[in-house]
Amino acid sequence: MLSLVLTLAFGLQLSSADASNIPPQKPNVPDGVSALNPGSDLWREVRRRDGVGEFNEVNQGVLVKDLLSEIQRSRQVPQGISQVNQVDSGVMINAKGRRWAAFRMTTLASYSGIALAAIFVIIITFYVVRGKVPIEGGLSGNMVKRFTDYERITHWTLAVVFLLLAITGLILLLGRPLLIPLFGKEAFALLASASKEGHNLFGPLFLVSLIMMLISFARRNIYEKGDLTWLLKGGGLIGKGHASGGFFNMGEKTWYWMVILIGLVISISGLILVSPNFGQGRLIMELMHIVHAVSAMILIVVSVGHMYLGSIGSEGALEGMKTGYVDINWADAHHDRWGKHCHEEDLIVSAEEYARMQGQPADSAEPAMEQGK
Amino acid sequence: MAQMKFYCDAERCIECNACVTACKNEHEIPWGVNRRRVVTIKDGEQGERSLSVACMHCADAPCATVCPVDCFYTTGDGIVLHDKDICIGCGYCFYACPFGAPQFPEQAAFASRGKMDKCTFCAGGPEEDHSSNEYKKYGRNRLSEGKLPLCAEMCSTHALLAGDADVLSDIYRKRVINRGASAFEWGVNQLKS
Amino acid sequence: MIQYLIDGPLWYFSLAVFFIGVVWQLIAVVFTGNKADLSVPRDSAASGAIKTFFSRFVPHREIAPAIMLPVVAGYMFHLGLFALLFFAAPHVVFLEENLLGFGWTPMPHWAFIVAAQFAFFGLIVLWLRRLVNPVSRLISTLDDHIAAILTFVVMLTGCFALLEGSTGLRLLHRFTVELWLIYFPFSALMHTFTFVPSRMLTGAWFGRRGVDA
Repeated sequence: MLSLVLTLAFGLQLSSADASNIPPQKPNVPDGVSALNPGSDLWREVRRRDGVGEFNEVNQGVLVKDLLSEIQRSRQVPQGISQVNQVDSGVMINAKGRRWAAFRMTTLASYSGIALAAIFVIIITFYVVRGKVPIEGGLSGNMVKRFTDYERITHWTLAVVFLLLAITGLILLLGRPLLIPLFGKEAFALLASASKEGHNLFGPLFLVSLIMMLISFARRNIYEKGDLTWLLKGGGLIGKGHASGGFFNMGEKTWYWMVILIGLVISISGLILVSPNFGQGRLIMELMHIVHAVSAMILIVVSVGHMYLGSIGSEGALEGMKTGYVDINWADAHHDRWGKHCHEEDLIVSAEEYARMQGQPADSAEPAMEQGK
Repeated sequence: MAQMKFYCDAERCIECNACVTACKNEHEIPWGVNRRRVVTIKDGEQGERSLSVACMHCADAPCATVCPVDCFYTTGDGIVLHDKDICIGCGYCFYACPFGAPQFPEQAAFASRGKMDKCTFCAGGPEEDHSSNEYKKYGRNRLSEGKLPLCAEMCSTHALLAGDADVLSDIYRKRVINRGASAFEWGVNQLKS
Repeated sequence: MIQYLIDGPLWYFSLAVFFIGVVWQLIAVVFTGNKADLSVPRDSAASGAIKTFFSRFVPHREIAPAIMLPVVAGYMFHLGLFALLFFAAPHVVFLEENLLGFGWTPMPHWAFIVAAQFAFFGLIVLWLRRLVNPVSRLISTLDDHIAAILTFVVMLTGCFALLEGSTGLRLLHRFTVELWLIYFPFSALMHTFTFVPSRMLTGAWFGRRGVDA
């Protein structure tokens, strides 16, 4: 013991004497004796810290950036190994998990709740202030074909799957703070289990209907010259007068590309989350969960606006997706360039002809559904 | 009330994996689930150390924080347990846990993992003590028989200790003193001393 | 109490309604009879029946492009439903334990889910087409809509119970299945069985008259 202390002291003296560039925490000691505390060495290795200087960086910085750098780093230098051969079994401590959990339960859940509440408040306020946007000159009864059956089926398939996924996803995210106090844990566990399984099963269908959407609508949603004027006019929602638009106006095009791009991000991150069988580690899952949840929340919040504008927000808009035909006055008001095109090409279907196509006697205003019974 | 803790001594663990085997055998854990595992850091290099890791029964457990159905609870002994009847097998506890303790019977496509399983500190679960349901879902309830977790009980080098935090820290303190070095200051390698 | 009802009496009642109803309906179809065709047969009725039965699996070339969507969706739905009905592991176990006494090799879990996705996608698309297409909306009866929604609900509750971890969700699925079984013989769902005699009868008429269609 005495000899060791002597050697150590000697070694330390030597090191401080001859080299100033050696860091002070790594004293130059004779072979076979590790002067560092082995426990702290191990701890540094496990917590993935190179040296003293990095201590302050823990729990700072952007979580996503942290996760990315840690993923890259664990590829290069694995933390450890284990005889148990499982995903991440060689990782003794994953310090990022705690931050991810805190992000999900505080930041994500509360901001999502606030965003959802806010969009409903905004829309209700808007409806109260502005009311249903009427068509100038009222409905003419003369219709023009806007969407084919296939396009409408694509739209509604995406809508059904999206709604199922949004509701089940929100139940999983917000159920613990909002629903457990109402139903209790046991009842909520049923709902959550159903939501989780439903969400996982319907997820891939979202991607399929998204691709159908991409194929059938992409060409008409490419931005063109008049779109900027639409934006400058506030899309006709703010202020007086309608903004000019083609088959789709700029707002619809932007919503379409949001759905496609954010939808693809959601789908891909979701597919990674839903297939743990490919052995991706926790860090990737945490990252994908953040990407998935944040992008899904954006899409959900904006979709509420879309649903409002497509139904009670704007007179005559729902007809297009319901029957495939819109009133020519609606087309002139909201999509004047396309409306003009319809006039020029003489695509207008008279009210009687339209009623006949919908299977109604021309004089009756009864909905078509009643006839089949 | 006691605060139950695990302590694993990196200077004593010889990576024999007996704790892993004992745990699997005692609780008849299905294939693919490992409530305890031994992780080796710097394998084959100087300063190689092994540690036996399982659920560490955190005082402020991240798994309990993140669980969407709130299925975790802490017993009076400071043991973190979960209710498998409530668990939906989402896997979030596994992402949140620093130690990778939560385990799932499957890792199949469409996230069908089955219900989470983890170390119970040999304290069973919310079912009635020593009932067959408890054994099936959570394994043996040794604590209620007055026994400590088997992994620690049978560790041949006494690297893995389980029990009241006060008792464990006493043992740890004595060991540190015996090694002639504090864990918080530059020490010397115990093997050479 | 509810569990006892759903797992016991209601299950046997629905099974009885299903089997008796289906057999009754089929016997009724057989005994309805047709007016004797007194014309001189130009060709074999039997070969016409068989030919038409198989040729109707594929849409006629002229109308194929127009009805591609319902055909593809229809095949997706029916094949998916068939696969998950008879080859999903929980269903095979259930049939073995409760009805048949023997089982067969089920699909792996992922294939089961993929089959379910096919079925869901097909059903959603088909039902939306029923609503969206003016012609099919007109010829759809209330029964068609109930049948579609009921089938969707049965599949959805099955999907909800996928974890196989809670009695409540299993009972919900079983309850909807029982409703479906009771509804089956009195509805358009009977096409599961009647499509065979229906097609073959048409084919026999065509064959007898020498119509090549």
